[in-house]
Amino acid sequence: MSMALETESRKLPLHDEHLRKGARMGDFGGWLVPLFYTSIVDEHTAVRCKAGLFDISHMGELLVEGPGALNFLEKNLPRRVAPVKLYQAIYMPLVNDRGGMVDDIIVYRMAESRFLIIVNAGNIEKDFQWFKSRAPDGVTVTNISESMGLLALQGPLSREILAEAFGAYYRDLKRFYYLDFEGGIIARTGYTGEDGYEIMVPMHKLKAIWDVLFRVGGKKGLVPVGFGARDTLRLEAAMPLYGHELNDTLTPLEAGLEWALDLSKDQFPGSKVLKAQKREGLSQKRIGFEMIDRGIPRQDCEVRKDGRLVGKVTSGSFIPTTGKSIGMAYVEACEAGVGNVLEVMIRDRAAKAAIVSLPFYKRKV
Amino acid sequence: MDFPENLRYTKTHEWIAVQGNKGKVGVTSYAQQEISDVVFVELPKKDQAVQQAKTAAVVESVKAAFDIYAPMSGKVTNTNKALEANPGLINQSPYGDGWLFEIELANAGEVNALMTAQQYRDTVQQAPKH
Repeated sequence: MSMALETESRKLPLHDEHLRKGARMGDFGGWLVPLFYTSIVDEHTAVRCKAGLFDISHMGELLVEGPGALNFLEKNLPRRVAPVKLYQAIYMPLVNDRGGMVDDIIVYRMAESRFLIIVNAGNIEKDFQWFKSRAPDGVTVTNISESMGLLALQGPLSREILAEAFGAYYRDLKRFYYLDFEGGIIARTGYTGEDGYEIMVPMHKLKAIWDVLFRVGGKKGLVPVGFGARDTLRLEAAMPLYGHELNDTLTPLEAGLEWALDLSKDQFPGSKVLKAQKREGLSQKRIGFEMIDRGIPRQDCEVRKDGRLVGKVTSGSFIPTTGKSIGMAYVEACEAGVGNVLEVMIRDRAAKAAIVSLPFYKRKV
Repeated sequence: MDFPENLRYTKTHEWIAVQGNKGKVGVTSYAQQEISDVVFVELPKKDQAVQQAKTAAVVESVKAAFDIYAPMSGKVTNTNKALEANPGLINQSPYGDGWLFEIELANAGEVNALMTAQQYRDTVQQAPKH
């Protein structure tokens, strides 16, 4: 068996706490993060059936503010920001001039002219420079990633746990809304396909919030969840991950994110490319597939149709709760129909897979 | 962690039980812990030739695939079919029901390149802790 060597990774603010809880640590984009505490299988199941708490403090936070902030974002983001109300948030890709994706982000309106943007850990510097280099006078962009910690409470019991921990006030938040909390926010958002909340607080308060949630949630079945299950949960919910389904050359249309764009908007970086692509049709599309033959698909596996290369896997895994092996891939648009049977090349062997509709998992409301 | 005295070990965390010109192969208890929940196993075919220190099987967790190297060269005579339905046997019983395959040894002298239980225990204890 071969194993990767330890690399020099940054530690999370709750690193010692993760070790105390028995975490197996591993690298994720330059961060030393908990891969799992007990097992990916148990943690995946806990989030689907009860509740799980994730430390996602590696993620980045940018503040865009100043008199021209709204106008600046309207000009540079692919989705209208003006209709986003105070205490509301909106998801979208960040698009470059070529129509590719710089990142995917959530924009929170904190005040008339003040916006919080949560970005992917691996893209903090890139996104910061992207906003900063475009910001006109009167708009400041600040990277507050170092001072903010982020927890995600996810699962069907998260609403009850949150209310007991911090008061009923937070319970009835609508999805993609947030409330002020301890110098940060609690938002009803997540990356698991379950109901849940993301809690951003100043770093020095993170441990206390983590402890309160376990004190209240522990007896209800709340468990700490590592990045292993975070990946299987988001994959099952068909949520794209930067570096897998999203990158600087793929477009949001190819990624199936047209719902997160306002193509009717005047102009934004990449808008011409995207409008043309929409008019002319896509050459490739993101799809989801389920393995028919035995085998676990992984990123970069070739996808073939009758032996002809038609695409590439971007994410794949065995899903513990269903026992199925699933994946997402980009394939030629003409082969992207649901039900189409393709071959995924796993270690030089063609294993049959069928395209299925996304998401793989949808929670019962 | 348990490393039976009657087995020989590789640096890459496989074990082999040599008996005459036969060898039974599996992964160590250290390996199964590092891999975590095994959810898929790909075994060599019967009669397939395997070569010392070359990939002979693949063991996968939810997260990743791990190549398993043959501790010694030879021809595969038998594989553990129970693993197809129950790959978790590798975690539960890495030296027992979780064995991977048996080979007819091509060169019994290759065993001299392998570690004893004591030597393997020493290398594992020196491995970086997470």
